[in-house]
Amino acid sequence: MVRRISHLLPVVLCVCVLFVTGCPPRDKAPDGIEDLDAQKPLPGDIPLADRVPGIPVTDPESRFPAVLFDYDSFMVRDDATPTIESVAAYMKRNGDVNLVVEGHCDERGSREYNLSLGEHRALAVRAHLVRLGVRSDRIQTRSYGEENPVDFGHSEGAWRRNRRGEFVFYR
Amino acid sequence: MKTSIGIWGLCLCAVSLSKAADIKVEKAGAEKTSLDLSAVAVRGKEPAAFRTTLVNDLIRSGWFTVVQEGGAIVLRGTCIEDGAGLRARISARNKATTKVFLDRGFSSTPDARRLAHEVADALVKAIIGVPGIASTRIAMIRSNEGRKDVYVCDSDGGNVTPITRDGAVCLSPSWGKGRDTLVYTSYHQGFPDVYRLDLRRRKRMRLSGFPGLNAGADVSPDGRRVALTLSKDGNPDLYILDLRSRRLTPLARTRFAAEASPSWSPDGSRIVFVSDKSGSPQLHVVSRNGRGERQLTWRGAATENVAPDWGVSGRIAYSSKRGGRYQVCLLDPAGKRNWQLTREYLDHEEPSWAPDGRHIVYTRTVGFRSDIYILDTLGDPPLRLTRLAGNWYSPDWSRE
Repeated sequence: MVRRISHLLPVVLCVCVLFVTGCPPRDKAPDGIEDLDAQKPLPGDIPLADRVPGIPVTDPESRFPAVLFDYDSFMVRDDATPTIESVAAYMKRNGDVNLVVEGHCDERGSREYNLSLGEHRALAVRAHLVRLGVRSDRIQTRSYGEENPVDFGHSEGAWRRNRRGEFVFYR
Repeated sequence: MKTSIGIWGLCLCAVSLSKAADIKVEKAGAEKTSLDLSAVAVRGKEPAAFRTTLVNDLIRSGWFTVVQEGGAIVLRGTCIEDGAGLRARISARNKATTKVFLDRGFSSTPDARRLAHEVADALVKAIIGVPGIASTRIAMIRSNEGRKDVYVCDSDGGNVTPITRDGAVCLSPSWGKGRDTLVYTSYHQGFPDVYRLDLRRRKRMRLSGFPGLNAGADVSPDGRRVALTLSKDGNPDLYILDLRSRRLTPLARTRFAAEASPSWSPDGSRIVFVSDKSGSPQLHVVSRNGRGERQLTWRGAATENVAPDWGVSGRIAYSSKRGGRYQVCLLDPAGKRNWQLTREYLDHEEPSWAPDGRHIVYTRTVGFRSDIYILDTLGDPPLRLTRLAGNWYSPDWSRE
């Protein structure tokens, strides 16, 4: 009698666990939608420091190309790494310069949600720079969502160019 | 036997009446009561504007048709402008039963349009028993020739007034209590911060200027708190800001997930919002102390469900991406039922409920051009609100 109950115990426990945790999320459908947690893990959230006023830096050395993002993603692409590494090097050479990373989206999707997505993109670039050794309090973020496109067209090409992070320096 | 038939009859009546109050999605158009305005006399130039506005308001309320004879309800009265100012005296009487719905004077304002709005709302309240929308206002963003600004207009589309003039990127205007307070997001000081606009004193004050993103502000029904999105802790999360104590309460904080678009329930106990933590932007609900978060919509036939607005009737209006285009839909907050209100193959976004619990204002975008429209949940055809040049979007309907 005791032995039969102990066989049942793992089954009962599994049922209890399933009951408590609920059914698996319905979004994991086999239709190509990736789970956000499957993306390359980001470091833990790095709080933003208070904003510090400054004058924009305009010399040519401070101009870097925008880094592009995939649709509906804030994952930093591998082809963005050289630019981000150059930015880190520039900031290490110029210790008095602060950075605002601007996050942008294409025009599709809800305006308010795009503000948050753009912010995620800016934060992801910032996290990458912090990993490369730039002090986190030197980097601010500014999301423009879909409000400030660089290309006012409505094509895939325009959308791709608008999904970007930009680098603005202050002294 | 007779008693039980009587009881059954009463029950059936109650069921059919409650069904009539339910939302109809057919295009047939709503039932209307006819108003005879032929015995309302106006004198002077202002009173003529009064009459035109009054007729328009009564029709736009959705409850009435206006006729010159044979109406079910007869209006009598006058509107006069003289040395003493602008005033009206209106009575409304059921023609068949002679029941008097209304019989009073109106003289609160020298503005003929506003006086007409006041009379129209009084008639809706007296005859139908629900709040009118004639005196309400709609805030929105206008993007024109590279400039973006906050505008406000009357709910009939008139009296279009620019509120901001700095042309800086701005978003998400949202009414507080009353008709004098707006909160919105503006970049005019260099970063996305939340400001409060006092329309009467014509002042602007920053409410939230934390590092990172400050956006999506929605004022609680009692006017004491604001739900908003902040990224100051390294992730865009939802918070509640108490306006008096300035205390912040985290509402929904999920690493790697974007939260946005909070909207308070009418009783102020819960907040519906958008989160993509499940893999796509969907609606979630949480109580105002941050507990009991529940997912309300899932990715399915609709790939995204965004831009919620929780109306006084208790239903949540939102925008749902179906077949590649956004449609305005309604959701029962228990999450069990939803209705699709728009059908055309174009984008219908950013719905906002009117305080009559019947009309919804939204952004209609076709060919990348946006204008603001009003739809009727009881079936009248949609009406266009904005006519001036530019793209008009992000409407919000005042609470009174």
